[in-house]
Amino acid sequence: MARIPGLRSRSPVAGLHRRALRPLGVFAQSVATTAPAGAMASTPLLVIAVAGSGAPWSFAIAAVVVGLVAACITAFARRMAAAGGLYSFTAKGLGAGGAYACAVAMIVGYGVLVAVALSGASWYGGALLARLLSGPAADTGAVAAGTGVVLVVALAITAAVCAIRGVRLAGRVMLVIEAASIGLILVVLVALALTTAPTVPAPPVGGGAGGGVGGVGGVGGVAVGVLPALAAFIGFDSAASLGVEARRPFASVPRAILATAGVTAVLYLVATLVVLAAPGATEGATSPPTGVGGVDDLSWASVLMDLGIVASFGACALAALNTLVRVLFSLAREGVAPAVLGRTHRRHLTPAVAVTVAVPVIAAVVVVGTLAGVPPATVFGALVSVATLGFLAAYLLVCVAAPRFLARIGELTRGIVVAAVLASAALVAILVVVLANAGTGLLITVAALVAVGAGGWLVLRVRRAAALRGMGVYDETTTADVLGAPTSAPPR
Amino acid sequence: MTSPISGRQPQAVRSALLILEEVAAAGVGITAKEISTALRIPPATTYRLLNLLVAEEYLVRLPDLGGFALGRRSANLAPLPLATPTAARTVMRRLRERVRWGAHLVAFDRHRLQFLDPDPDHPPTDADELSRHPHATGLGRLLLAEHDLPDGPLARLTPHTTVDPERLRTLLAEVRESGVARQCGEFHAALGCLAVAIRAPGDGRLVAGLALTGPADRVAAPNAELIDLLRDHAAELAPLLA
Repeated sequence: MARIPGLRSRSPVAGLHRRALRPLGVFAQSVATTAPAGAMASTPLLVIAVAGSGAPWSFAIAAVVVGLVAACITAFARRMAAAGGLYSFTAKGLGAGGAYACAVAMIVGYGVLVAVALSGASWYGGALLARLLSGPAADTGAVAAGTGVVLVVALAITAAVCAIRGVRLAGRVMLVIEAASIGLILVVLVALALTTAPTVPAPPVGGGAGGGVGGVGGVGGVAVGVLPALAAFIGFDSAASLGVEARRPFASVPRAILATAGVTAVLYLVATLVVLAAPGATEGATSPPTGVGGVDDLSWASVLMDLGIVASFGACALAALNTLVRVLFSLAREGVAPAVLGRTHRRHLTPAVAVTVAVPVIAAVVVVGTLAGVPPATVFGALVSVATLGFLAAYLLVCVAAPRFLARIGELTRGIVVAAVLASAALVAILVVVLANAGTGLLITVAALVAVGAGGWLVLRVRRAAALRGMGVYDETTTADVLGAPTSAPPR
Repeated sequence: MTSPISGRQPQAVRSALLILEEVAAAGVGITAKEISTALRIPPATTYRLLNLLVAEEYLVRLPDLGGFALGRRSANLAPLPLATPTAARTVMRRLRERVRWGAHLVAFDRHRLQFLDPDPDHPPTDADELSRHPHATGLGRLLLAEHDLPDGPLARLTPHTTVDPERLRTLLAEVRESGVARQCGEFHAALGCLAVAIRAPGDGRLVAGLALTGPADRVAAPNAELIDLLRDHAAELAPLLA
C-alpha cells in the first residue's frame, strides 16, 4: 500500500475532544449564541419603533440576508471542520489577510457578545430583583446596580466552569436553558396577546408602504428596521467553531447553522406579529423598559418573561464564550496568538487557558461600566452596536471568501456565486448605513479597533510571517480516516 | 433525526453509488470535477452528493480540500471474507489439546473483531457484542492498547467492569508493557480471559489475537505457564496470518 502524500498522522487541532458532541448539542450552541428569548422580548419593539406595521418585513428581509450568509458559511462547513469557525473558512478563500481581519472581527464580535450577555443578564436580573424586593415605586437604582454586579460575577464564573468542564456539558446546559426560556417567552407573549387584544387585530402584514397603523414605517422605515432585526440573528454561525468536536461535523454543523437561522426567524416573526397585534401589551411587561411608569407591572407575566430573558442571556454568555475560546485556541495553534492559549485541559479536553484569560477581562469591562454609574441601557446598547459591527464584518469576509474557495477547489456553482454577491452587497450597504449614522463614541471605538488590528497585522508580518501564511488550520483528514492508508491494516 | 425514507429519488441513490464506485476505482485524490466528467453527472449534483457522502463519512476530503478518498466507513460495505489457513487451524487444535479452557483465534479488522477459529467446545460470545465493548474484554483491550480509549462512556457490564477512563488507561499501559491483556469477570461475571497479540513478523502491526477463556477466579491467578504457552502459539501463528 503506497503512502498517501500530504496526509498527516495527527490533526493540527489535536487536544480538543474530537467527534464527541451530538447534533443536538451543536444546534444548542448556535441557538444559544443568538439568545432568541432575549431578542424576542426586546427586538420587535425596536424594529416596530422605526418600521411601524412594516416590522415583519424588516425581519423577513433580515432573515433573507441571514439565509444568504448561511449559504456561504455552510459551503465551507460541509467541506472542512475547524475550531476557528468563520476565520478558518475565510483563510481558505482570501488567504492570510482576510483570515486575520476575520479573526479580529470574530474576537471583537464574540468577545463583546459575551459582555453583552453578561450585562444584559445583570440589567434585567438586577432590575427584576430590585422590583421584587422593594416594590415598583421605590427608588431602587442602587439595589439594581449591586445585584447586577453580583450577577455578572456569578454568571461569568459559572460560564467559565461550564466551558472548561467540556463541550458536552455546556451543550446540555444550553439546550435546557434555551428550551425553557423560549417556551416561557412564547407562553407569555401569546397570553398577553390573548388578554390584551380580544378583538380582531389590525392586519399587521400589509406591505411596508401601506402601513398606517404604527404611524411610522414606509419603505424607508422597513429598511432602517433591518439593522436591529439583523442584530437579533448574530451568532447563528457559532456552531461552525465546534467542527472538531462535533460527531459527523459535515452533517451536523451545516444543519445546525441553517436550522438556527430558520428557527430564530420564525420565532422573531411570531413575536413581532404578537406585539403588533396587541400594541402596548409588552410595553412595561419587562423590567428595564419601565420608563412608561405608573403601570402596576409586577405581574406574573413580567416576572416570567424577565426570568426567561436572564436565562437566555446566561446561555448566550456560555455559548459565545465557547466560540471565542476556540477562535483563540485555533489562532494559538497557528502561532498567530501566544502558544499558551492553545493549551487544552488534560482531562476535559477544552481550551482551558483561553477561558481563564478571556473571562476575567470581559467580566471586568462590564463590572467597571456598571460601577462607574453608566446606565445599564447605555452599556448594553453600546456593546450591542460594537458586537454587531464585528459580526457583520466577519460575515462579509466569509461571504466574499466562499466563491473564491470553491473556485480554488474546482467546485464552484452558480447558486453560491449569486448568494455570495447578494449577501456581500447587502452587508456592505448595512455597514455603510451604520457607520454613516454612528455616534462619535462608536466611530472612535471602531477606529481604535481597526488601528489596533492593523498594528497587530504589521507586527505579525515582521515577527511571525510564517504563522500568518499558515493561518486556517482545521481538523484535516488524517491517515486514520482514509480507507487503505497504512495504519493497522486488516490481515490479508 | 432522519425522516422516513420515501425512496422516491432512485436517480440520486444510483448516482451516489456510482460516485462511491468511481472514487474506489480512481484511488486517492480524485477531484469533484473529474468525477462529474467521468460519470456525466451535472457538477452541482455531483458536489451535493459528494458533500453528502463526506458528511456520512463514506468519503473523506484530503487536506487540499479538493481531492477525495474512501473513508473508513466504506469498509463496512464489503467486510473482508476472512479465510483461516489450515496450518493455523492445526496450531489451534494443538493448543486446545493442552488446555482445558476455551481457546479462540480472532482477527482485528480495524475496530472490529472477527473470529477466525472459535473454540467449538466453548462457543464464544458474538463477535459484534465483543467489538461493542472493547474496554471489558481481553481481546478488545489488545486493540485499545494499540489505539486509545473508545469515544463515549464505558458501559458497566458486570459489577467488576472497569468504567473509569483513567483506570482503563493504566490497564492499557500494562497491556502494552507485558503484551498480555487480562480481565476477570468484567464481561461475564463468571468468566475471565487471557489474551496475547499476534503481530505481523515484518512491521509488527497487530493482526490478530489469541485468547483463553475460563472461570474468572482461575484467570486471576498468575498463570505464568499458560501465558508462556499462549505466547509460543501466538509466535507460531504470526507468519501464518500476516
